[in-house]
Amino acid sequence: MVEIGHFALVLAFALSLVQSLVPLFGARSGNERLMAVGGPVAVTGFGLTALSFLALASAYLQSDFSVVNVWENSHSLQPMLYKFTGTWGNHEGSMLLWVLILTFFGALVAAFGANLPATLRANVLAVQGWIGAAFFLFILTTSNPFTRLIPAPIEGRDLNPVLQDVGLAIHPPLLYLGYVGFSVCFSFAVAALIDGKIDAAWARWVRPWTLAAWVFLTGGIAMGSYWAYYELGWGGFWFWDPVENASFMPWLAGTALLHSAIVMEKRSALKIWTLLLAILTFSLSLLGTFLVRSGVLTSVHAFATDPSRGIFILCILTLFIGGSLALFALRAGSLTAGGIFQPISREGSLVLNNLFLTTAAATVLIGTLYPLLLEATTGDKISVGAPFFNLTFGALMVPVLLLIPFGPLLAWKRGDIFAAAQRLMVAFGGALLAVLVTVLFIDKAAVFTALGIGIAVWLVLGALTDLALKSGIGNVPLKTAISRFVGLPGSVFGTAIAHLGLGLTLLGIVSAVSFESERILTMHPGDTTEVAGRVVRFDGLHPFQGPNFTEDRGRFVLVGPDGKDKLEVISSKRFYPARRMPTTEAGIKTMGFSQLYVSLGDEQTDGAVVVRMWWKPLVTLIWLGGLVMMVGGTVSLTDRRLRVGAPARRSARPADKARPVTT
Amino acid sequence: MVFWFIAALLTLAASLAVLMPLAGRSKNDSSGGAHDLEVYRDQLAELDRDAARGLIQPTDAEQARAEIARRIIRLGSDDKQQRIFTSSVSVARSLGVAAVLAVPLISWGLYSILGSPDIPSQPLRERLAQNPADSSVDELIARAEAHLAGNPQDGRGWDVLAPVYLRIGRYDQAVTAYRNAIRLQGSTADREAGLGEAITDAADGMVSAEAQQAFERALRLEKDQPKSRFYLATALVQDGKIQEAASAWEAMLASLPADSPWRSPTEAALAETQKRMTGAPVAKAAPGPSKQDMEAAASMSPEDRKAMIETMVAKLDEKLRQNPHDVEGWQRLLRSYLVLGKNDEAHAALKRGIEALGATTEDGKKFAEFAATLGLSATE
Repeated sequence: MVEIGHFALVLAFALSLVQSLVPLFGARSGNERLMAVGGPVAVTGFGLTALSFLALASAYLQSDFSVVNVWENSHSLQPMLYKFTGTWGNHEGSMLLWVLILTFFGALVAAFGANLPATLRANVLAVQGWIGAAFFLFILTTSNPFTRLIPAPIEGRDLNPVLQDVGLAIHPPLLYLGYVGFSVCFSFAVAALIDGKIDAAWARWVRPWTLAAWVFLTGGIAMGSYWAYYELGWGGFWFWDPVENASFMPWLAGTALLHSAIVMEKRSALKIWTLLLAILTFSLSLLGTFLVRSGVLTSVHAFATDPSRGIFILCILTLFIGGSLALFALRAGSLTAGGIFQPISREGSLVLNNLFLTTAAATVLIGTLYPLLLEATTGDKISVGAPFFNLTFGALMVPVLLLIPFGPLLAWKRGDIFAAAQRLMVAFGGALLAVLVTVLFIDKAAVFTALGIGIAVWLVLGALTDLALKSGIGNVPLKTAISRFVGLPGSVFGTAIAHLGLGLTLLGIVSAVSFESERILTMHPGDTTEVAGRVVRFDGLHPFQGPNFTEDRGRFVLVGPDGKDKLEVISSKRFYPARRMPTTEAGIKTMGFSQLYVSLGDEQTDGAVVVRMWWKPLVTLIWLGGLVMMVGGTVSLTDRRLRVGAPARRSARPADKARPVTT
Repeated sequence: MVFWFIAALLTLAASLAVLMPLAGRSKNDSSGGAHDLEVYRDQLAELDRDAARGLIQPTDAEQARAEIARRIIRLGSDDKQQRIFTSSVSVARSLGVAAVLAVPLISWGLYSILGSPDIPSQPLRERLAQNPADSSVDELIARAEAHLAGNPQDGRGWDVLAPVYLRIGRYDQAVTAYRNAIRLQGSTADREAGLGEAITDAADGMVSAEAQQAFERALRLEKDQPKSRFYLATALVQDGKIQEAASAWEAMLASLPADSPWRSPTEAALAETQKRMTGAPVAKAAPGPSKQDMEAAASMSPEDRKAMIETMVAKLDEKLRQNPHDVEGWQRLLRSYLVLGKNDEAHAALKRGIEALGATTEDGKKFAEFAATLGLSATE
């Protein structure tokens, strides 16, 4: 089974080579048969990659230590779930997951792309083939997960304990679906450049793909943030760590792409810009892969550092980014530019959004790469941390956030800013009220916090206002309004929900950062302490034996105002003997949207233990907001108009007499 | 065999994926223009829906409709100047053939470099379930550990595993295993002595009070248990009670049977102690079997023990081939072969030794004399 997987991987590489050359040649020479090769090859390539992935996964599930990769990252006593997720909890396996998702998207294009113009489809598949071939070659030459080990050891070295968590089952697959999803947009962009023309279908196709990738990436980032929050035991949710930035940059660029794609689809404008954004977004995804996988950054993500890998990915990076940008420079002039529009209009607001988001992405890029470049050239080590990002990124985000509610209210082509402002009076009033309440009743000195909360409320109410206006609540009888509300297109709902989600996330961030209370103290069993008005008692440490670890469980009890025990919080310190590594398992209790967070420190000789305790008000909104954004994106995806007009599919319907005549 | 069959099937499927579209009928697909038109028609329909819902003003809708109409008209003019494809049939055909051939060639070529088709999968469960005779020591231990993890109250399992741990140097686990065996199966002289030995080895050879207690318990159960007596005497040396240690060893030698494996370590220890008592410089202990080796030999079955000795002799033989100027080494080798009953090898070793040392040198003469005392003559 293992060797079948290895062979399937090699075969998939061979197919990706065919896929990258034959359809392209077919499209250039107008040969239908050569172009048609792309589809079946993409689907078969996906099947083989999936087979290969399954072979590796089954080696993990069966603890087949004759595979080096399994021996290095698994243990026979691990719970089944972690045996499975361990498949991608390492460099080689995660790269295999990467190409699995890449070929999956390629197969989707092949399967649902029957209604695309044949040359566009062939070119897109060919570009996907290039990316696939490059990464297959990378895996086979530098990171082969199927290398064997004979004689096989009887026990593995265990998966990195930090990764032994449900998070590993969710975070990397979501993140990769996002990263790699943008590869489809990239392929479409490069295909359009090769062809030298942008079809109308192009615009319609790019948007759903961007949307899908964006939804996954949003989920991946939110999940990663929550994972870091509860696993690392520091109680922070975002560290401006280069690895986090690596996923955040494509998200910013992808968000910009999402919005410019709307303009392109609706108004045929911003075509060239959208194309460039599509290229940049995937380039940032590749850059993220390079930063994380090459070992340039040392973190939990850099499973192994091997210079040859770094150089190989750097080559891939240079080839694809440089190549696509060069192609863009060559061809962009010959593309037909789109229409023109007034600055005060839906298009105008979306352009503004794009400007800010791309600038923000550039800021994060500079903050992430500058220390690396400086260290590489001069050897000086500096760290660019939260202060830099909060100042620059924060300053860029404030105007965007303020302007978001205006966008959906402006009409296409020419909008009326005053009318829009008038309609947003209610939302503005609500936001003002929130600011006043915060300053007057919670903290008189917290002006910035109050403004932050005001912006969050502004976003939420602005999104709701949009929905209310579009369904005509207040202008038409309630019954009509309700039926209109139900009939609103998915994209309108999607916009409102996603913007609302952003507001929730902002509210969570501002509240958790400004209003959290922290206690650090040494506690003996039986001691009580108070955090943010809540009394917590420590009941002592108790040993516990897990399947492949031992742990000391600290039991904490939240005591109610009546003196009775209300809730139990277990916070523990684990030790994994196979890797000789300790981990902390924070104890977290969610109450409403807020959380009590307990983390254990060092044990003292007399049975006392250092305890860090936080009360984090509304902290869960940060990630719930991310979930809401995902829902918004998904709702928008279901919108009918995202489906591509298809001559082939239409022809199946005899009633449709106005069938286009093939020329 | 199954692997090659599946690999061939996969290759066939992959090649067909390339071949089928190439062999298929060339269908004259609609041009890009038709696709664009369809998109615009969809947009018009969508516009109508939005207008019907009252989402856009009628005037805006009218403008948008006009805009889309303009695009459709532009499309028509683009269509007329569609570029003419120049497709060379022969080039396309040869590319197709090359593509179909490339799949098996690349995959089999690359796999033959990277793959290891003859290594089967080795799921842990199957490895643990296979016939114990085919398993390595590590596998046997893992199997026993897996069994004991599920049945920690199985005293016999611990009893079997404990000396094995001791032999392969996992002393801490040996201590635990002996404790469990004693707790579940009761105290015996062998188990107590084993526990004491494990504790001692875990402490790098220091016989601690805990270990001494274990040895004493063993002696209470079996008066002449040699291992316990030996280690207790060692403890005396470590306490500085050299005199008492020497008499303990002397008493031990007097009562040990002639074929006991404990004889020679005891003799060696006694000799060393006596040297220390007389103040002579402590000679380097003969590089014979290490203490651990001897202990291991003591707890082995006769066959295993013989195998172990043979390996050690072979090692010595090999060492002498590389570094032949070692009279004592040759003497030990000669004696070992005679003890093992390998007279031919003994003769050969004698010959090689004389050659290496030189028949006329002092070392050579010494070696020949030594051989003569064992009843071997170098003159052949």
